[in-house]
Amino acid sequence: MTAIETRKLTKKFGDFTANNEIDIRVERGEIKAVVGENGAGKSTLMNMLYGLLQPSSGEILVDGEPVRFASPSDAIKRGIGMVHQHFKLSPNLTVFENVVLGSEIRRAFAPLKPLCLLPFVRKRPALNDKFAARRLPLPLIDAAAQKAAVERTIQKYNLGLDAAALVKNLSIGEKQRVEILKMLYRDVQILILDEPTGVLTPREADELISSLKELRRGGKTVIVITHKLREVMDASDSVTVIRGGAVVGEAKTFDTDEKKLARMMVGRDIERPKTGGAPVAGGVVYEVKNLSVVAPDGRKAVDGVSFNIRAGEILGVAGVEGNGQSELVKALTGLMTVAGGTVLKGGADITDAWPKAVRENKIAVIPEDRYGQGLCRDMTVAQNAIAGYHRDRQISRFGLLSKKAVIRRRDGLVKNFDVRLCDPDGDVSQLSGGNAQKLIVARELSSNPDVLIASQPTRGVDVGSIEFIHKKLLELKDAGKAVLLVSSELSEIMNLSDRVIVMYKGAVVGEAPRGADGETLGLMMAGVMPGGG
Amino acid sequence: MLKEKTVKNIKSGVAAFCNALIPVLLAFVGGALIIAAARENPFSVYATMLGRALFTPDGFMRVLHVAAPLILTGLAIGVTFKANVFNMGVEGQMLLGGFVAGIIGASMRGVPAAVHIPLCLTAAVFSGALFALVPALLKAYFKVNEMVVTLMLNYAAVEILAFLAEGVFRDPSAGYVSTDMIAGSAAFGRLFGTNLTAFFLIALAAFAVMAVVFKKSRLGYEITAIGKNPEFAEAAGMNVRKKIIAVMLLSGALAGLAGAGWMLGEKYRYTLDFSGSPGLGWDGMLVSLLGSHSVFGILIAAVFYGALKVGVSQAALFTKIPNEIIFVIQALIILFLSVSYLSKNVKFREGAGRIFGKIKGIFKRKKGERTDEQHTL
Repeated sequence: MTAIETRKLTKKFGDFTANNEIDIRVERGEIKAVVGENGAGKSTLMNMLYGLLQPSSGEILVDGEPVRFASPSDAIKRGIGMVHQHFKLSPNLTVFENVVLGSEIRRAFAPLKPLCLLPFVRKRPALNDKFAARRLPLPLIDAAAQKAAVERTIQKYNLGLDAAALVKNLSIGEKQRVEILKMLYRDVQILILDEPTGVLTPREADELISSLKELRRGGKTVIVITHKLREVMDASDSVTVIRGGAVVGEAKTFDTDEKKLARMMVGRDIERPKTGGAPVAGGVVYEVKNLSVVAPDGRKAVDGVSFNIRAGEILGVAGVEGNGQSELVKALTGLMTVAGGTVLKGGADITDAWPKAVRENKIAVIPEDRYGQGLCRDMTVAQNAIAGYHRDRQISRFGLLSKKAVIRRRDGLVKNFDVRLCDPDGDVSQLSGGNAQKLIVARELSSNPDVLIASQPTRGVDVGSIEFIHKKLLELKDAGKAVLLVSSELSEIMNLSDRVIVMYKGAVVGEAPRGADGETLGLMMAGVMPGGG
Repeated sequence: MLKEKTVKNIKSGVAAFCNALIPVLLAFVGGALIIAAARENPFSVYATMLGRALFTPDGFMRVLHVAAPLILTGLAIGVTFKANVFNMGVEGQMLLGGFVAGIIGASMRGVPAAVHIPLCLTAAVFSGALFALVPALLKAYFKVNEMVVTLMLNYAAVEILAFLAEGVFRDPSAGYVSTDMIAGSAAFGRLFGTNLTAFFLIALAAFAVMAVVFKKSRLGYEITAIGKNPEFAEAAGMNVRKKIIAVMLLSGALAGLAGAGWMLGEKYRYTLDFSGSPGLGWDGMLVSLLGSHSVFGILIAAVFYGALKVGVSQAALFTKIPNEIIFVIQALIILFLSVSYLSKNVKFREGAGRIFGKIKGIFKRKKGERTDEQHTL
């Protein structure tokens, strides 16, 4: 039985065809993965299914009937719900208030109910029921009923949430479950999730996958947009691969493997990054001694961290997110104040250097938060391409920016790092995640740094871009530069690093040479000391 | 490629223009109702206003003269909006600049104009900037909300200057509260016998400088980045604190210059109604809003608003319409401006449809019916 189907579905934005005659079939009660690189047109397709965009041509069939959605509320009425990558929740409301928002349950009173007390009425059950059932809704919200209704839904789908908790106190994984709950509460049959694991820790991702399987058991149909192939293999029943706005492959999950899917997505074989050449013996370029950082809430976020990086070496910092890695990077890049310890670059003390001084010391930074610190969405690609390097002599003289030089810089970065733009003069907000990240990498690596501090450089980025960014990091290492690689993606750390340190609760709990097995590192990440009792 | 780009530029320009024009037209319609209520023919009143202001050479020169301080106060506010800090104290800084220029203009005698005028202007610029430094430092170092501080300091400025004008600096020969008349050497002369003075040229020069700052300079780039995403700006090595202070100083300086020019070119003495009502600083806010905080937009909006001011005072002479009608129109413009009618990249038919839809939505929104907006929130 087909739950949802598209026939020659096409979406054009001006001259640009985002989706070209897409045919896709999703069976009822399956988990369908839609995979493709960033910018392949997955989100456009899903937004059409959810009524956020209207197709240019072609049709959508739900349960075999052609439908037209003018808005998401139309889609929800037909039982289609979507969970976006960025949550749309009100932090100061409770879980159940967020869930019922827009379809609140109102208090009602039964004005005729006192009549039921009359013996004359009591004798006649039909009349009795009629009087009791005549209810007038009041302009008041019935919070208890709302809470109870939401709790029923939570229990039914085993979501493990507290309906009365404030949303701002929830973890990211829980917030995502609230989003899913919002849709289930509206009784959708088909649930679309856009990059659901992009923001989750590996553990939370596993929990999500088991929740999705739970939903499937309950008869729901799930469509997951993703580019993480491991999750596709773990969770889905069938896969559709989209490239360049068209379907390039379909398969049952048990019939395929990660390698085949990756090839379909990118259109060629993906090279595994070589684990570097011979280990290097360069001198120490960058050294951190006994560094401590205090978070705004007074907690010691980084506690006596020491390490050094040699020329031609990639030092990996592994750890479950939230164990002080973000604060460490912020302190090293001048965005947080150092509470104690020293940072040396080439022997010179650069502790607590401002971001400007960090760059002047030939230290490039790929920040963790792509659209917070890395790029400004509402500025043009060119303006972003010079950020941090706008004081360079080629770019500006006597306080005036040379437009020509700025454009030349942009074009150079775009060309050398294969950043794909729709509109070269447009804002960064047009770029897909992978291309935005490549723009940052391009900007930072083109400054010819001695040291690179890269934090989560491939988070939420498609396979092709990950491969590209990894290649660039290894090139930097081969050129004799020092690289600090902070990532919560253990496979990334293990593939690229020459040495790995593991952070747990703000401190370095262990160091491992290249080739250490994942199990040892995994134990250290969980705070279990190697060899210790 | 180039052609496509130009088309896009024109389109977004037209959209911005329409966004400014629609509220103005709606405000004129509202004004027409009031004029009609005063038993005048709105068409002939508007014809008199526009005709006298824009289509007579004398009137037009007068418009430019009146627009000069508005260009400066508009820029003073536009600059801070770009950096996403809000200097609501332009009125106070402008008054202080005017007062200082008036005192220096009156107290020095026998100085050549070539020295006297620049001295007055410079002193005014510095006092305006210095006055803006107070909220700037509070904001940069103690995170005090600059909007509150600047807003309240306006009242402080008005009262202190009133006190000074009534006491220490009062011209005893005047029948009302006023400082001494400035010396002839400090006053701007009329250019070529028109209503125009050199003040307009100074305002234009300031406009040109600001245009370069925003289109071409590193400072403009950094201010834009700070305004759009301060976290990004800081991570890219910009000193956000220093830049915010710089922006506030620049804004205060422009406001001070506006006051000085108005003193030396129009008022010649500080009186309690020096900046008129609602005040050149407040007018500047409207001008900046109307010009969507872009440098060129502010220039056009200032001239338009100047025309409105001149037109209304002319209309008041020839009809029974009181001067106050301008406040009605101004208030309506601000009211209607708060709606964004067309987004930058939207096609026209879509835009018109959207406006129509919005109007329809106001009437049609039934209770209990969920709209998309609520849903996507």
